[in-house]
Amino acid sequence: MMMFAYLLASGITTGALYALVALGITVVYKATKSVNFAHGDLFMIGGFIAYTFHVMWGLPYVVSLLLAVGAGFAIGAAAERIAFRRLREQGLVSILLATIGLSFILKGTARAVWGGKGDFIPFPPLANPRPISFGGILLVPQQLIVLAGALAVMAIFAAFFKFTKLGRMMQATADNAKAAKLVGIPVNRVYVYTFAIGTAIACSAAVLMAPITLLYPDIGFVLFIKSFAGAVLGGLTSIPGAVVGGLLIGLIEAMSGGYISTNVQDVSSYIVIMFVLVFMPQGLFGGAVLRRV
Amino acid sequence: MFGNRQFLILLFAALAIVPAVANPYILYICNLGMLYIILALGLNILVGYAGQFALANAAMFGIGAYGAGLLQVKLGAPYFLAAPGGAILAMLVGTIIVFPALRLSGIYLGLSTLAFAMFSQWVLLHWNSVTFGGGGFPAPHLDLSPLPIGPDLGIYFLSWIVTIALVAFAWSLVRSRIGRSFVAVRDGEIAAQSLGIDLLRYKGLAFAISGFYAGTAGALYAPLLGYVSPEGFDLFQMIIQKSMIVVGGMGSVLGSVLGAVVMVTVLELLRAFKSTQEIVFGAILIVFVMFRPRGLVTLLQRLPGWEEPLSSFDSRRMLARAAAHVSEPGSPRYPAGRDLVDESRP
Repeated sequence: MMMFAYLLASGITTGALYALVALGITVVYKATKSVNFAHGDLFMIGGFIAYTFHVMWGLPYVVSLLLAVGAGFAIGAAAERIAFRRLREQGLVSILLATIGLSFILKGTARAVWGGKGDFIPFPPLANPRPISFGGILLVPQQLIVLAGALAVMAIFAAFFKFTKLGRMMQATADNAKAAKLVGIPVNRVYVYTFAIGTAIACSAAVLMAPITLLYPDIGFVLFIKSFAGAVLGGLTSIPGAVVGGLLIGLIEAMSGGYISTNVQDVSSYIVIMFVLVFMPQGLFGGAVLRRV
Repeated sequence: MFGNRQFLILLFAALAIVPAVANPYILYICNLGMLYIILALGLNILVGYAGQFALANAAMFGIGAYGAGLLQVKLGAPYFLAAPGGAILAMLVGTIIVFPALRLSGIYLGLSTLAFAMFSQWVLLHWNSVTFGGGGFPAPHLDLSPLPIGPDLGIYFLSWIVTIALVAFAWSLVRSRIGRSFVAVRDGEIAAQSLGIDLLRYKGLAFAISGFYAGTAGALYAPLLGYVSPEGFDLFQMIIQKSMIVVGGMGSVLGSVLGAVVMVTVLELLRAFKSTQEIVFGAILIVFVMFRPRGLVTLLQRLPGWEEPLSSFDSRRMLARAAAHVSEPGSPRYPAGRDLVDESRP
């Protein structure tokens, strides 16, 4: 029971981070119908930017978080403006290839700037690393901070998406770009914001995650594939689905790692992706699948 | 005058005299280049011709190398049995992917096959009792002992013969009924079906052929390197092969060859710097997708005196032009790359 509670706690914590990254993947997917392969690497860059501000320059954690989120916003906007906009007419595979290219550029840049392969950079924890007991269950305070932070970001995003004009324009564009354009929504600008916001969410996840894991240039892909599994599980088009899917992937990983083997932990998200895409492509929350002729 | 065929003949004639003039390092690079020609061809048949955006080619390459190496090391099979064994194993595994490919297309297929590739790498890393785990294992060099040819030259000429055979096979394949069916499946699955093209059969064939090409390259790679380990078949391997066909030209045999030659050169020039390699490869991929989506082969075709027979490439251009003509005014022009993808949900 003790072990189950512990796994539950750690599964929900990592799951919340996957959910944040999956949220960004889903937002971008809804708008462009393409998967941003570089999403994990944008996450990784966000982590390294925060590391630079917080550890190397000694700025406070919250300031670093805000700066990293801002930098992510700018990088996402620039990537959309420079590359992805021109490719939208060329089709989805072109965009996917371009995002693969971007992912390798970011990875190479991180390797060149912040150290070579195998350099695992520790990020100082925010809270006392000693676990505290909640009714017999031991929790690391850092995990609670991460969880609270992730929930806060999700709440902010949900409110933004539902109640602001820009959020509603994003929804309209995702539903039907042509119709949105007809009613006067500046679709191109909305796409820029979509990429920017998706990247900013990923960067916030990176800054939250950095203190509990380590940073290294290859973390981006690992995180991308796990969060993508979460997004796929949630149906890829549903924002609540991305959150639930991300949490489920965190739990699946924690449980399979705890009860089966740590090796299985690494592979469980690949299995989920293959299984879900092949047998239930609409995921848990996605709508019915239409086939366009 | 001068055309695809003459270009390929010149290239392979040049490769034939390389051993006489080059040092062992250049010999190794040329040999590696030929393996990448095979890999790029296999991938291009699948992605460029049949339009199946799969990302598992690096895994098939690995399965071919492991298959050929392990059959020799574990079962003591001679190389000339083990190598086809590895290639056929990769072909079989590649064919299994057709079942998800019947339901998925575009990026869904790409990402599920990517997950499959990561899964197979995980198997190579953790199935210690068979694959020797993360450390890999030494694979025997090619031994042609009755013949007075050393292992380096032996694998070089074996690769040379196999590459020529596979280029010739691809060349005639894409001009055959099968190749045209691939193009039909790529340009519109439902239209292809309505013409009586069996999707299972042709997609299966495309995956099988592509897997066989990648597996063959793997079976040649094991004795060339003399060592097999999981790292060689990772995500970066995938992007190397992908960038080759993008740079050379999707849906073009000559483009595959061209892309492989160019990218192997770039790769070797940057060998010492992993981060630079990644940045350069990523940048090349983006630049080509954005500015030259048909690849370098279109530059060749513009040379004065270049003869280009009517090929699938031209028919596609004509189709694109026709589609642009009939589409409503004000709608985006028929995009150049869209014929590579079926945008329907899986």
